[in-house]
Amino acid sequence: MSFGGIIDATLVAFVLQAIIPVLLAAIGGLICERAGVLNVALEGLMLIGAFAAVSTSYFTGSWAIAVVVAALISGAASLVLAYGSVTRKGDAVVIGLTLNLLAVGSTGLLLKALFGVTGILQSDRIVGLPSLFGPIDPSGIPLIGQALATSTIITLLALAAVPATSWVLYRTTIGLRLRGVGENAEAARTLGVDSAKLQYLAVIVSGALCGLGGAQLALGNVVQFAEQMTAGRGWIAVVAVMLGRARPYPTLAACALFAVTDAIGFRLQAQGLPSQATDAAPYVVTLAALIVTRRHFRLRHAYA
Amino acid sequence: MGEVPALGMVPSAARRLGDLWRRAATGPLPSVVGAVLLMGVLIAIIAPDPGAAVDALVTGSLTGRGLAESLQRSVPLIGLAVAYAYALRAGVLNIGGEGQMVMGALAATVVALYVPGPALIVVPAAYLAAALVGGLWAALAGVMFTRLALPIMITSLLLNYPADSIASYLVRFPLKDPTSSMIATPMVPNAFDIPPIAAVGSVVDVRLASLFGVDSPILLVTRNVNVSVVFVLALVVAVAFVNSRTRAGYETGMLGRNARFASYGGVNTRTTTLRTMVVSGAICGVVGATIVFGSQYRLIDGAIVQTNYAWTALLVALLAGSGSIALLVTGFAFAAILAGGAALERSTGVSAQLANVTQAAIILLVSIRLALPTSWGRRSRSSGTPTEAEPVP
Repeated sequence: MSFGGIIDATLVAFVLQAIIPVLLAAIGGLICERAGVLNVALEGLMLIGAFAAVSTSYFTGSWAIAVVVAALISGAASLVLAYGSVTRKGDAVVIGLTLNLLAVGSTGLLLKALFGVTGILQSDRIVGLPSLFGPIDPSGIPLIGQALATSTIITLLALAAVPATSWVLYRTTIGLRLRGVGENAEAARTLGVDSAKLQYLAVIVSGALCGLGGAQLALGNVVQFAEQMTAGRGWIAVVAVMLGRARPYPTLAACALFAVTDAIGFRLQAQGLPSQATDAAPYVVTLAALIVTRRHFRLRHAYA
Repeated sequence: MGEVPALGMVPSAARRLGDLWRRAATGPLPSVVGAVLLMGVLIAIIAPDPGAAVDALVTGSLTGRGLAESLQRSVPLIGLAVAYAYALRAGVLNIGGEGQMVMGALAATVVALYVPGPALIVVPAAYLAAALVGGLWAALAGVMFTRLALPIMITSLLLNYPADSIASYLVRFPLKDPTSSMIATPMVPNAFDIPPIAAVGSVVDVRLASLFGVDSPILLVTRNVNVSVVFVLALVVAVAFVNSRTRAGYETGMLGRNARFASYGGVNTRTTTLRTMVVSGAICGVVGATIVFGSQYRLIDGAIVQTNYAWTALLVALLAGSGSIALLVTGFAFAAILAGGAALERSTGVSAQLANVTQAAIILLVSIRLALPTSWGRRSRSSGTPTEAEPVP
């Protein structure tokens, strides 16, 4: 069991699959963080997106409609956080945590009500995301071929979202205002910036991104819905934002750390290591990364 | 003589009535009503026979066996909620109760299975081990906060995953009962089983039967609910005592209200935070042990996590705060919702998740204060749970 032997095309493909949902959620969390709203509901919003994507795909037979609906539904769900924390000045952490539990409950409830199953929904009627390259099969290309073959439109969107977010945050007026609101909402208001509007925008965009992440998870990485299938990825995204100090490229790096650990663990499992030893690895590595890079991150409105 | 006393009294009486109504209205009541209405709407849409569904919900939680079920479920819920509320009072958001509970259950099971000796010594030792290991697991998150300023909310949650994995690995391999088809440890010796309040045929049971009749619902409760109920009542009383009558409780309360002021007043914020986490984790650990010894009699892979008690209890703590009566009432109410939900799933096929949706809706409505005019929401927020704690300097 050597580490050299497991870095191959399959591993690269797995890293790319593992990173996309987390990355999308993390970019959403990053935008919220920049706008001064702590979004810990990423996990639940992603789960809602996954369910919306699978059920839409099941009923319409169209992955494209499913992706759009997933983004819309998760975006709409995130309005609860926006309204509660921005308009009603409620505790964003409490609302976020509760939204996660509401997501688990409502997806489980609807899974039973709409499909009559509990646990996992698998069906031929669920249309998964097609490969980005359509009929061309790039899997012959060494090392990255397999990764390209499993790429979807959402993979492309997620990877493009990193430079796009960076550009919007640092090079546009709206980005400047958003950061201003996050730094000091009062001061931004004094300068005539509608801080509430920008915070709503940030939360809704993060919801939509989580929806896309959920769609990739449930229609791209696999083609099924499982209760609680997000399995802590939204929380990894929250930590990735902390590790990356709410900057796009460092956050991408933090997500990559998670994805690589996840992928290596998965490969070691294939080589006979018990799954219990590798399942927790991404969370332990994330925790270790927090310990190593301590102090400099910020977490708004934090409890102890 | 323009001042007519009676006239003066009218506004004051009205004000008093208004205050009373406002206090009820700014409390969780409208949110609870809202969530119950939501539950009703969901049942009306989903259930093939809404009447039967409501019947299952009520009988499954409040009558006879259902009542016993609700009471039994309120033990872990209230226990964990007390642990969370104790931490919240110090401004510490411990959301790693699941991992602490699993580690406690694991420790208790190991002691029960492998430590020889008379039950009189080994049984307390098992609970002690549960408290110790649960407390140590929580202390990891505590130390990461006091030494590295990592938020406990994040670290305690992340620690759930390795805890689940460690327990799952041990149950699957070294501790597995080879004779069982379940992925579980062997059964713990009978001496560890938590007995019912009054077992069938026991002296108390016979006495109760002669007093209330054999078909009395009281007997259903005393025969089916185990004595961990007593433990949880004692726990609530003990924590209330610590909070209101001891220096430690005063310090945690002070820390939660204003960390900087507490520090200025001579409270060692590091030790207090760490101690709070250890106590909180220890309670979670013991609750884990009561689940093993009280209902499963062995550690089954994933069974503690699947109960979802850790998350439901967080909602209970968020809603009830640290008031004893509030914790007991809310804990029982949420346990009843769970029991009702389970009965609903058994008899009508509507998912038991309806219970979780209702509970989450209550907390969401309370934290958003959807049912209230904005000005009232703002007014009562100042007296809410502590929302900020300074990282230790």
